[in-house]
Amino acid sequence: MKFIETLKLALSAIWAHKLRSALTLLGMIIGVTAVVVVVSVIQGFNAYFDEKVANIGSQSFSVRRFSFDDFKNVDTIAAAQRRNKDLTLDEFDYVHERTQLIDKLGARANATRAQVKRGSEIIEDVPVDGATANMADIDNLDISDGRFFTDAENDAQMRVAYIGADVANKLFPSGNSVGNEITIAGLPYRVIGVQTAKGTVFGVPQDNFITVPLKTYASNFGNLINQRSLYFVATAKKGVNFNDAVEEARFLMRTRRHLAANDKDNFGILTPDAITGIRDRVLGTVSIVAIAVPAIALVVGGIVIMNIMLVSVTERTKEIGIRKSIGARRSDILKQFMVEAVTLSAIGGAIGVILAWIVGRIITAVIFPTYLSIAAVIVALIVSGGIGIMSGIFPAWKAARLDPIEALRAD
Amino acid sequence: MSDATLATPTGASALEHGEVLVRDAVPAALISMRDIWKTYQMGSEEVHALHGVSFDVQKGEYVAIIGPSGSGKSTLMNLIGCLDTPSKGEYWINGKNVSEMDDDELARIRNKEVGFVFQTFNLLARATALHNVELPLIYAGMSSTERHEKAKQSLAAVELTDRMMHKPNELSGGQRQRVAIARALVNHPSILLADEPTGALDTHTSYEIMNLFEKLHSEGNTIIVVTHEPDIAARAYRVISIRDGMIEKDERLR
Repeated sequence: MKFIETLKLALSAIWAHKLRSALTLLGMIIGVTAVVVVVSVIQGFNAYFDEKVANIGSQSFSVRRFSFDDFKNVDTIAAAQRRNKDLTLDEFDYVHERTQLIDKLGARANATRAQVKRGSEIIEDVPVDGATANMADIDNLDISDGRFFTDAENDAQMRVAYIGADVANKLFPSGNSVGNEITIAGLPYRVIGVQTAKGTVFGVPQDNFITVPLKTYASNFGNLINQRSLYFVATAKKGVNFNDAVEEARFLMRTRRHLAANDKDNFGILTPDAITGIRDRVLGTVSIVAIAVPAIALVVGGIVIMNIMLVSVTERTKEIGIRKSIGARRSDILKQFMVEAVTLSAIGGAIGVILAWIVGRIITAVIFPTYLSIAAVIVALIVSGGIGIMSGIFPAWKAARLDPIEALRAD
Repeated sequence: MSDATLATPTGASALEHGEVLVRDAVPAALISMRDIWKTYQMGSEEVHALHGVSFDVQKGEYVAIIGPSGSGKSTLMNLIGCLDTPSKGEYWINGKNVSEMDDDELARIRNKEVGFVFQTFNLLARATALHNVELPLIYAGMSSTERHEKAKQSLAAVELTDRMMHKPNELSGGQRQRVAIARALVNHPSILLADEPTGALDTHTSYEIMNLFEKLHSEGNTIIVVTHEPDIAARAYRVISIRDGMIEKDERLR
């Protein structure tokens, strides 16, 4: 018997019991929908995280006082606080002079909050940080108006400010902020650039900030230690292995700090991989649970299909007898019921994927970006087909081995 | 009994006693049963449904197998129809030894060599008359255009061209049985095997069906009818009577 005939037969059998088929599929549909929605939420989260937080595109790494591993637990935090020292501008110069593999090396200091004023407009608690001039390139800053500051302005400790869109809008409701003066923590600064509005990431606004030259920051806000901790940001040279550049930076820092071979790093290096690694470590466990729970619905859906197929075989014993009497082989009967189970299951899978796509669109519109990859769709369809095979094989085998004489005698 | 020997090849008289003279030779007859035994295990007891049955059917014969219930005629019909294999003995159909075939080979023989007509018609309820007639051709792997053509011809032969898109529940009993006959003949089998073909029909319709059998026989088809009704058996040209799992009589009527 040709496959197309078997498929036609399966579809007509499914169609003949529309209500039953629909109810049978419900478990499958719910299972597939739930799994695919969870997967697309996780994939959407990862893509969002990579883009917004890990800044994957920038291909930069940073050298800081602490590493992620230092925050494992209370003991490691305490140990790291004793061991690790703030980075210094001398160390920055040391690395800068000796590196072979780093393309751009910039430095930033963590932000402190300050009052910002222009005339009668006052904004409290704006995060203000300091940076070297090349941070504009390293961070791929998207400047909407004006420019970032220069090395000369940094070296001269000029009071110039690069501000976020929220700050600009509040202080300069009519626009034209660039070239005008604002007061930050009691001192006058000239606005030289405004950053394009970015909105929020995980609900945190990205446009409420001010960046001033690093040396200006150090002299006006206090030493670059503790909460104003200094960190370096570096990109690898073209054609250089990223990890080699990271290891070179580590080596230079260790040399500068005279660490013995078996000493732990008393600083931390953060790579995009390390950040996504943290993400995976946290999300990995959650993902497994989040996928496993709706996957149980899939198993139940499979059992429902098997149950209905068994009922169907019993009901259609006579039909099986007739088919056998006119020349259907065991394999024909086996195929008939297998294809029916797989088709049923695959239809459920397809409906589930479509529903999941719709739910994903709704979640994206209302709550959170989701992402449904083609791979996830294909896997969902293959898995639902596979469940069809698993749940169809026993009923089909039962049908195939029926004795034609007995089967013909059935009502 | 002497008439029967006319219809059977050389050595027939010996065969009647359950002995086989030419075991290895392929018989010339269309159907050849040689010392067929069918034994069932009922608990610890062995029940012999057939005790060494031997007979031949030539191409173009019209044979009735008659016997009371429990005589073994159903068992014999299942064996002739290749739904089952004998416990002992050889069964040849169209030059093929069926007795040692496996399930799939039997299915193939049923598809190619045997056309079944059942008492209760055994049509697929959800399928049209045309689809029911096509069914053996589907299992034979025939393409859909060729299948349609052959199924239509077969339905035309039983005068049901105008009913081919009807489902069984939209047809009368006689029409259903004619669909079943069209299905049985569509693959041009070696034998048409009918099991109580008029058992579910009224007298008038029964005669119609028997007339159709007569017509099919006159066209050269080989027909075996299994029945317990003497007047149905009387329409055949040869009657084999079964009792207690043995051939009691094998007589030629015409």
